[in-house]
Amino acid sequence: MADYVIETKGLSKIYSKTKVVDSINMHVEKGKIYGLLGKNGAGKTTTMCMLLNLTYPSSGEIFLFGKSIDKYSKEIYPKIGSIIETPGFYENLTAYENLKIIAKLRGDYNPVNINSVLKIVNLDCEKSKKFKDFSLGMKQRLGIAAAIMHSPELLILDEPINGLDPFGIKEIRALLKRLSHEFGITILISSHILSEIENIADVIGFMDRGVLIEEMSREDLFKRLDKFVEFEVSNIDLAINILRELGLEENIDFTFNGEGTIRLYSNLDLRDKFNALFVRAGIDVRKVELCEENLEEFFTRFVSNN
Amino acid sequence: MFTFIEMEFLKLKRSKIFLLSLLGAILPPFLMFIAVTSFDEGNTFEMLFTNVNMYMSAMFAVLIFAIIISYLFGREYNEHTLKTMLTIPVSRGKFLASKYMMFLMWVVILTMVTSFSTLVFGFIAGLDGFSLKLFIDSFAQLLFANVLLFLTFSPFVFLSLVVTNMVPAMVGGAGLSLVNLMVYGQNWAPFVPWVCPYLIASGEIAKYSTSIAVSYGIILAAFVIGLAISNIYFTRTDVSL
Repeated sequence: MADYVIETKGLSKIYSKTKVVDSINMHVEKGKIYGLLGKNGAGKTTTMCMLLNLTYPSSGEIFLFGKSIDKYSKEIYPKIGSIIETPGFYENLTAYENLKIIAKLRGDYNPVNINSVLKIVNLDCEKSKKFKDFSLGMKQRLGIAAAIMHSPELLILDEPINGLDPFGIKEIRALLKRLSHEFGITILISSHILSEIENIADVIGFMDRGVLIEEMSREDLFKRLDKFVEFEVSNIDLAINILRELGLEENIDFTFNGEGTIRLYSNLDLRDKFNALFVRAGIDVRKVELCEENLEEFFTRFVSNN
Repeated sequence: MFTFIEMEFLKLKRSKIFLLSLLGAILPPFLMFIAVTSFDEGNTFEMLFTNVNMYMSAMFAVLIFAIIISYLFGREYNEHTLKTMLTIPVSRGKFLASKYMMFLMWVVILTMVTSFSTLVFGFIAGLDGFSLKLFIDSFAQLLFANVLLFLTFSPFVFLSLVVTNMVPAMVGGAGLSLVNLMVYGQNWAPFVPWVCPYLIASGEIAKYSTSIAVSYGIILAAFVIGLAISNIYFTRTDVSL
């Protein structure tokens, strides 16, 4: 049996008769990065708030580190670091002072620790700057610093890359991967940016309208991405006729557009043979490319089908 | 709990509201200083202390306390820090208790500022009749009144949890100050929670036919009810992001 750090059973949340989270059964294995993917309003943040005890579930159970949060919250929550939406800090205080408050209340205040975590998120030069003068990206990085400062075993991060520039995103992505792979920290990360989840997650949970549609590993996801071969030809009508004569059906085995492009969805291994037939028939083949559906296309198709 | 209080003090670093509250605590002595130097002659330290205590605890403190409570509790919502604090994790009950304690300490600080600034203004005005006993008695009286007033502000904690904006607190505090002015001297003044602290502390309650126990009971009831509903609300509702 897998060692789940997060497990929910029939977890639901109802706000004035609207079910924003609907009986989700989530499973996050130890040491994995779990990407919770869904559109805005899919229920990701509410789910994370319930995991963090900020929002009380309407029904269902939550087990963190194999223990019920109702009975063992004092034991469980010190092992978690989190960011929910935009990080909240005291605006009149500096980055260092804000982290000091958190560390003191957690009972593990150590100036060296705070300085080193500020360095990790590249805020060591800004530690004396007041939080209200921070840019959105800096606020987000301070949130990450607060979340990892106490070396948690589980990180729950809701849209942690919001507001970060491409360099910041790259740094945070590398940091999260390092925390997971080197230190074995389990990470639950939500995002509506599909490419981000695709880049980082070991397991992806697809959420839509409060429902966790499916959880699948990155490997399974790539297996399920549709593949196709794209031909760009000089005479599309002739090329289509050749495919029809070979028994391939339009809209099932292939599709085409008016710009001379044919997408072949079956018999992908025979693409060299098709190419040879086109050339022999006097068609100029400008491009033959094996393509794969991206996560965005998969997500749209997957959510629509479910 | 000590760490909680220490951190509450740190949260006030560079806080404009804290400075404004100190200015608010100096305002009654300053106004009385203007009064004694401009209009009257033959004023004494005793009169100055008595008037400052009355205006502070029956009027100015009501407004200042309403603003302090709204800031202390409301800022955790407005600056989105509540989610950060509670996920540390910090017990909701302890968090609420530390806020109450911080409010009490703030009240004590304001009382000290008022009393010491009265003393300074009295000397600047060249008033007669100063004695250490007078100062200590006056300080004790103001402190007692303000602590009782602190207890009556417990329902405001609940209101500040529900309405986190400071504007309603300012309007409510100003309104309550006016109500206090209107009620002061009326037969039913000992029944109004925000007036009776001054009446009890100054000894003026003896002029009324109502038993002092009734006023104490009203203050205690306001405190307990406010504490109970604040605690229930804070510990049982979802944290708004």
